[in-house]
Amino acid sequence: MIVRWIAALLAFAIVAGVGLVGFGNFLTGVDEGVFYDIEGANSFGLVFAVAVVMAFVVYAAVEYAQTRSLSSITRQFDTRTIVLMPVAIAINIVLGAAVASALKIPIYLDSIGTILVGALAGPIPGALTGFLTNLLWTYVVPPPFNSGAAAAFAIVAVVIGILAGFIGRAGWLRPRPNQPMRSLVVWAIITVVVIAAMSYLAYLGYIAIIGPVAIEVANSNPAFVVLGYLALALVAGTVLGLLYLLFARRDLTAAFVVVGGLLTGIIAAVISAPIAANVFGGVTGAGTDFLVAAFRQAGLDVANATLGQGLISDPIDKVTTFFVVYLIIIALPMRAKARFPQGERLVERGEASPTDDDGWRGAAV
Amino acid sequence: MARSGRLSEATAGRGLPDFLGRPGPTAYHRLNPLTKATIATTTAIAAVALGGLIGPAVLVAVAVVGPAIAAGVLRDLVRTSVLLALPIAISALLVNLFFFPGGEGELFRIGPIVATEEGLGLALEILARIMAISGAVTLFYLTTRPSDLVIDLERRGMGSRVAFVANASVQTVPAMVERAGQITDAQRARGLDTEGGVLRRLRGIVPIVGPVILGSIAEVEERSMALEARGFARPGRRTLLWAPADRRVEALIRWGLLAALVAVIALRISGRLP
Amino acid sequence: MTLTLTGVGYRYAGTSDAALLDIDLELRSGEVVGLAGASESGKTTLCLVTSGLAPRAIGGLLRGRITIDGTDVDAWPMHRLSQEIGIGFQSPASQLSQVAGTVFEEVAFGPMNLALPRDDVLDRTWEALETLVIRDLADRDPRRLSGGQQQLVAIAGLLAMRPAHLILDEPTAQLDPQGTRLVTEALARLAANGASILVAEQKTEVLAALASRTVVLEAGRMVLAGATGEVLGDPRLPELGVTPPAAVRLRHAARDAGLDARMLDEVHAGG
Repeated sequence: MIVRWIAALLAFAIVAGVGLVGFGNFLTGVDEGVFYDIEGANSFGLVFAVAVVMAFVVYAAVEYAQTRSLSSITRQFDTRTIVLMPVAIAINIVLGAAVASALKIPIYLDSIGTILVGALAGPIPGALTGFLTNLLWTYVVPPPFNSGAAAAFAIVAVVIGILAGFIGRAGWLRPRPNQPMRSLVVWAIITVVVIAAMSYLAYLGYIAIIGPVAIEVANSNPAFVVLGYLALALVAGTVLGLLYLLFARRDLTAAFVVVGGLLTGIIAAVISAPIAANVFGGVTGAGTDFLVAAFRQAGLDVANATLGQGLISDPIDKVTTFFVVYLIIIALPMRAKARFPQGERLVERGEASPTDDDGWRGAAV
Repeated sequence: MARSGRLSEATAGRGLPDFLGRPGPTAYHRLNPLTKATIATTTAIAAVALGGLIGPAVLVAVAVVGPAIAAGVLRDLVRTSVLLALPIAISALLVNLFFFPGGEGELFRIGPIVATEEGLGLALEILARIMAISGAVTLFYLTTRPSDLVIDLERRGMGSRVAFVANASVQTVPAMVERAGQITDAQRARGLDTEGGVLRRLRGIVPIVGPVILGSIAEVEERSMALEARGFARPGRRTLLWAPADRRVEALIRWGLLAALVAVIALRISGRLP
Repeated sequence: MTLTLTGVGYRYAGTSDAALLDIDLELRSGEVVGLAGASESGKTTLCLVTSGLAPRAIGGLLRGRITIDGTDVDAWPMHRLSQEIGIGFQSPASQLSQVAGTVFEEVAFGPMNLALPRDDVLDRTWEALETLVIRDLADRDPRRLSGGQQQLVAIAGLLAMRPAHLILDEPTAQLDPQGTRLVTEALARLAANGASILVAEQKTEVLAALASRTVVLEAGRMVLAGATGEVLGDPRLPELGVTPPAAVRLRHAARDAGLDARMLDEVHAGG
């Protein structure tokens, strides 16, 4: 067991090191005299994502070499998971295509299926769902649903799936209704502190990379104003929904939904920014392009404008997505959830099955 | 029903029915699906790595338009790939033309917004890249059945469960849209407002999204039972009825394309002309 | 091949009440057994337990013995059991594999999963298509067929596994009259050729036409069992939530009205 973890960590370190030193920004060379490409510092999220994937691959390879089987992976793939994945992929693509083409709002809504599979079945099925979603979306899905840009972001979807898997495994999405007011208040304070800390860290990182920038609104384009209101409406809807969960249902999990969504959003933004910047010049034909334009207008270059856009769109998108996934989890009856590999972690404590009585036996295989 | 007579005669034997594994109409169609996928992927990645205008333009001519003419799909290709690229292209043009910071060669003005020469340059470069990517991907889509590619990968060793997920996803996307359409009609009959401003449409989407999503997930239980009843959970490989042909020369082509791509990326990273 | 359930009970996961209790059932070769009962009486549960899906695929707790020719099947995995017992469900569309572009590939799905040699797969597929007389549907898209046709395709897919027994849970429940007729005729043909079938149905006419023996369930227990004619003629059926066939209802109504039932039989036989 330890051998596998060491091998995986080694792989992560090697790939991350090579990436940071040598890779840098796609379209510029390595700067002389500096051991890494300063402009490439924006790509560190992408480099780490690739390193994480390589770590998983190495872990699996070592496990296979040791045991001639991949039980830690296959355990997460029972029939139910495999049947759920196409449905999840279809949800991703249909909703994502609808939002991208019909509603020009700065969110994506193309990860609901990925996060659902991650939460129900585990990190690897979640990762695979994300990966296949993006690949199929570009290469295989017929017009009008297909997207030319999606395949390039496959690794972002993989990381989102992995994150959702661990969030589900940690029991963050287990419904916790009817909490006493006292513990609700305590957790609300903790959540605010965590969000504030994450925002501050993100802000610090942003400043360190880009330098202090005064973003002036160079013009009051009415389109941006409308879009701003739209985004606000979505955020308001999600916030209202979460507040309802928190206070009317006294459901503590609302706090976990917010933190999980923010975490996933920030990580997704950091990984996808260099891809969007270098492959597509920052635009992908979706509603988010207006934000990129706004940042460009304020004087940022392509890489930083996409990062700025991502850090606004992705957290909103992911918090909304986690909220929707949580709604689905609440709506599913126990029978539908419990038999998934991580289903037990999504069920209210106390709904669990009774233990065997004498004479009654479970499945032998 | 008129086909049935023909079928019974033509397939009177017990072998593989003739409607399975039918070869494509042109030589390009008949290439192994993995070869066509390799062509599409290397073209797309090379377009990004090359940068500039000339590189992608050459790629489009050689790797997209040429094969498209050979495969007889040029008209469809142009129409579909332009449609595919249009949203990105418009955005890229607008954003880079007008919002390129530090651009000095002013071309024209619209109120306070300035179009710059540098912005135009970058916009054209991105356009060329997008056309190459969209053209390559569309060429693949037009000349290859997705199930053929999945069968080929499965023959080479991809797991049968991954193959199942890929195939089922391709079928489920249009099926889900159809179901959404049915629910939309039903909801509209009950007075749902589907026209109007974006906010209204947003509110209108929720009563549709709910049943589609929850209904599909509820079906998972019954579907997985039906699959298990047909031996789906059996570990290991399964039999394939047929597989697309492959030739040694195509394998060489694939490796050659990959090597060329690695070379291009290496040149790019080591800092050649942009 | 004889499939025997002795003292079988079953509880769904997360429940404390038994969905089935004290089931003693024997399914022998070459006979069609009918299964009747009100909804929620346990018909579907019995089908799932008999086929092995419960508890293997859906969890839950089992009690009692299930044997094939005397051998306990508790340790048999689902893919092995599915070659002895096939199970079909109500909803035609949700039994489609969703990976087949043609009916032929759909029917071949099961044998392909079993990793049989290619020629075996092809033979079994053609055989199944011919048995159900749907050879002319072989190149059609399964999603575009009528409900009745889809059910036939589903049953063909099961037959391609060459099971000794077929279990069908309300195969005509979601079909229109045309589909019902299509499926019932196909099942009659199968029965005439000596197939072993356990068919659960609310439409007792179907049972009257197909089954030699019938079992009635109430609240998870067997309350009636015997020759179909007797069971379906039993006056207790309505209070058990089962609607007797029209002919039976007519006879009872005639008898209650004081008419001579034998005249009805003559009319029935003549018409």
